[in-house]
Amino acid sequence: MISNPISLMIVIPLIAAVVAFMTKTRGQARIVALIGSLIPLAISLQMFLEFDKTSKIMQFVESYDWVPSLGVKYTVGVDGIGMPLVLLSTIVSILVVVYAWGENTKPNQFFALLLLNEVGVIGVFTALDFFLFYIFWEIVLIPMFFLIGIWGGPRKDYAAIKFFIYTHVASLVMLLSIFALYFTYRTPAGGRTFDMLTLIQATSDSTLFSPMLLNLIFLGLLLGFLVKMPAVPFHTWLPDAHVEAPTAGSVILAALLLKMGGYGLFRVIMPIMPNVSDHYVTLMAIIGVVSILYGAFLALSQKDIKKMVAYSSVSHMGYVLLGAGAFTWLSVQGAMFQQFSHGLITCVLFMSAGTIQHTAGTRIISELGGLADRMPKFAVLMLMAFMASLGLPGMCGFVAELTVLTGSYETLPVYTLIVIFGGIVVTAGYHLWAMQKVMFGPILKKYLDLHDPHSYELLSMSVLVLLMIYFGVNPAMVMDIMGVAAEQVIEGPVMTLAQMGVI
Amino acid sequence: MIFSDYLSLFGAEALLTGLALLIIVLGLFMKNKNLIGYLSVAGLAVSMYLVMAADQTRDAVFYGTMQIDALSQFFKLVFIAVTLIVVIAGLSRYKNHPGQDEFYTLLLLATVGMMVVASSMDLISLFIGFELASLATYALAAFDREKQNLEAAMKYFIFGSVSSALMLFGFSLLYGLTGTTMITEIAAAGLADMGPVTLIALLFVIAGFGFKMALVPFHMWAPDTYTGAPTLVTAFLAAGSKKMGFVAAFKVLLIAMIALRMEWYMAFAILAAITMTLGNLVAIWQNNVKRMLAYSSVAYAGYIAIAFVVVGAAAGQVDGFSIAANGLAGGLLLILGHAFMKTGVFVAAAVVAYMALRDGKENPDDIEHYAGLGHRAPITAFCMLICLFSLAGIPPTAGFVGKFVLFGSAIDAGLVWLAMLAILNSALSLYYYLRIIKYMYVNEPTGGKISEPKGYVLALVVALAGVLGIGFFPQVFVDLAYRAAEVLLL
Repeated sequence: MISNPISLMIVIPLIAAVVAFMTKTRGQARIVALIGSLIPLAISLQMFLEFDKTSKIMQFVESYDWVPSLGVKYTVGVDGIGMPLVLLSTIVSILVVVYAWGENTKPNQFFALLLLNEVGVIGVFTALDFFLFYIFWEIVLIPMFFLIGIWGGPRKDYAAIKFFIYTHVASLVMLLSIFALYFTYRTPAGGRTFDMLTLIQATSDSTLFSPMLLNLIFLGLLLGFLVKMPAVPFHTWLPDAHVEAPTAGSVILAALLLKMGGYGLFRVIMPIMPNVSDHYVTLMAIIGVVSILYGAFLALSQKDIKKMVAYSSVSHMGYVLLGAGAFTWLSVQGAMFQQFSHGLITCVLFMSAGTIQHTAGTRIISELGGLADRMPKFAVLMLMAFMASLGLPGMCGFVAELTVLTGSYETLPVYTLIVIFGGIVVTAGYHLWAMQKVMFGPILKKYLDLHDPHSYELLSMSVLVLLMIYFGVNPAMVMDIMGVAAEQVIEGPVMTLAQMGVI
Repeated sequence: MIFSDYLSLFGAEALLTGLALLIIVLGLFMKNKNLIGYLSVAGLAVSMYLVMAADQTRDAVFYGTMQIDALSQFFKLVFIAVTLIVVIAGLSRYKNHPGQDEFYTLLLLATVGMMVVASSMDLISLFIGFELASLATYALAAFDREKQNLEAAMKYFIFGSVSSALMLFGFSLLYGLTGTTMITEIAAAGLADMGPVTLIALLFVIAGFGFKMALVPFHMWAPDTYTGAPTLVTAFLAAGSKKMGFVAAFKVLLIAMIALRMEWYMAFAILAAITMTLGNLVAIWQNNVKRMLAYSSVAYAGYIAIAFVVVGAAAGQVDGFSIAANGLAGGLLLILGHAFMKTGVFVAAAVVAYMALRDGKENPDDIEHYAGLGHRAPITAFCMLICLFSLAGIPPTAGFVGKFVLFGSAIDAGLVWLAMLAILNSALSLYYYLRIIKYMYVNEPTGGKISEPKGYVLALVVALAGVLGIGFFPQVFVDLAYRAAEVLLL
């Protein structure tokens, strides 16, 4: 039992980031980063063990006054929605540090930024006060801006600034909605509060929130989260950011930052959904389906394997939106698991693209061929990840997508069928085609002297692949928690921390 | 009241005035004038303590022309903090400079003038303080005696004189209408029933203060003066002297001319919207960092002017008082935050200009010289980074807290369009701040590492501490701002 585990998980990487920034050599920086991400991993595993998996109440809650005159508190805690994502964040963060073990350019800054990213995402997944939530939400942008801007590819300036401004504008729109919530609701004592659960619960009071106002608030929040996910048509920042970002940046972007959008859906959007116009459900479902199909088709047409993987993220995150929009217990649970599973899978996909780039010197699919011949271990891992990504049974991607589609068929049969008949084939198509072209077939002459990548890259990828298989065979490990969380989201109403009796 | 009572209320002003006079005399006799800078730092530190320790129970003294209250002390803290940072940076900039005693004297006198404005409850004393501060800064703007300094100072002087004349004409109309120069008595005189002359008075007052605040269309002097003046003086003008315009406008409009609320409310809604949009749009195209920051300063005047609009819009609403208090507190927080972050960025710009001149480059303020600053001058670059993020309103910084409270209050007051515009502007401004950041950290350095002068570094660290202190511990400052806001509204 650790006291204040969440605050520790936020503070330790932060301190480690500062220390890593001060180090002089790569050796010191990466050791600091390793320790700084290992401790949060240990804490989150310990939390996971102690977590009461059948309970709907917030756990490990900490709450302190921060700016009492504005009603701002430092409140953090996790429930079934946040816990798996916290676990995912700590797992991915340490594996990214391992993968980037050989970073040569300004390693102290590089590792410090990776750690700072971890601070931001863990903060987002645990904050229970809108002020705090917004702060973490914005803090995440800063390290990612520098990761793209400093270590990025040829068009890094454009990509970094576009990423920052695009997502910042979306956050500001979300902030407007948060203001509207804040200024409409008064606590029984007459004060104001930024407490997330209190404000979300208050939206069910139609005397306080007129339908018109609530619809606008909902739209603002939804936009903030959709841009982050990202859903078509707000996805245009993603390919630029991914293509230019260094591998570690892409991994964090896809595995963790996109999950912030999905988390927002479950935490904020879905509890409000029963009180707003039904049209939004249709809207979300349509955006979800369009993201799945359009993302898949765009992936199919890419020449650059990294861009293909980036669009596959758009496609896969569409399942989260579809599952959330369908609003059944099974679909929501599946959407939550899709977040977790995509977080694991996409890491390996981006690592593969990165490894190909720095071993073969290009990521253009048509210029590659037969790499498996010289890189057998790498080929196995990449193949496993691609299979998981296309939804091969036995791996976690299958479980997630199957659950989403089974659940959404109940309420949105037409959309589900469109996805099944239109999307899945294409998804399988671009994965297999790219895999076949890049790794198999006769090896090109210029690649004859290639060899397997560094052991740390393989290690990082193998751990992720093992996790994919483990969660494919035994999804209940986290899905039980998600089931409880989904039930809570579907059935409502939201309970405040005081009603839960945790503060 | 006996003498010692005055001392506890105006000790800070007395100390700084005495110090300024003493420095003139000392400057005549001392061989090593570097000591004078340290003396000024000590004097400012003590006066900061005196300001904080003063009793804030709204004591009216000097026959009611001056008042010590939460508002006056809030602004005095802002002014002294800015001067302190500038003086600390000056320790390096004007080390061994033959005229450095004059630099410190003028700075201190300008600060005293601004502090008098903050305390004034009478149009005459307000004007005297205003002019004392203005005259001192005219001289400061030309301090390095280079060609562009003189041009900047000349422009500043001409525009400043015109604005003083306009303001004074507005005051004279107010006096003619009401028969008094006391701010509270003007408020009680019933301006609303006095016909269209009041509007002319209002127009002249807004124009007069508008120049100091650099609201569009009264901003024309600001970019030229800010660009041409010595960079430390620019910091003082943008972060300090501009705030004097705000405190004067708060007093005259929110107290004396509250009866004309509907009129100035409309005027400020338009001025705020135009000012922030134009400031940001023009800033995007600048390659001279000082000029870019000057336009960002113009944009900030637009943000802060939202406070007037909120106060005007709040009247007559159900929670009118709390909305207006929120708006003003937001404006004050932004004023406080802006004081730290603007001083911070301009001091950093001074370091870069120093570096570029040392390398023998033309156009020392060009953005090209920021390339690789993160490597060449890591502390400067880092402080500038945080100040720029703060200017853009990225949490957890002073700029975020100020904008958060201010823009939130605009929504609360029902001014959703204005809040939307402000927020979009804030996003727009991110573009040019990110451009500087990109140059500092992404672009390759064009020269070797430099040793950053200690005075500058210390000044930057103080500014950084202010920016992050307000960001991480907003409660103290929010309380201060609310208490100050209540003075204006009660």
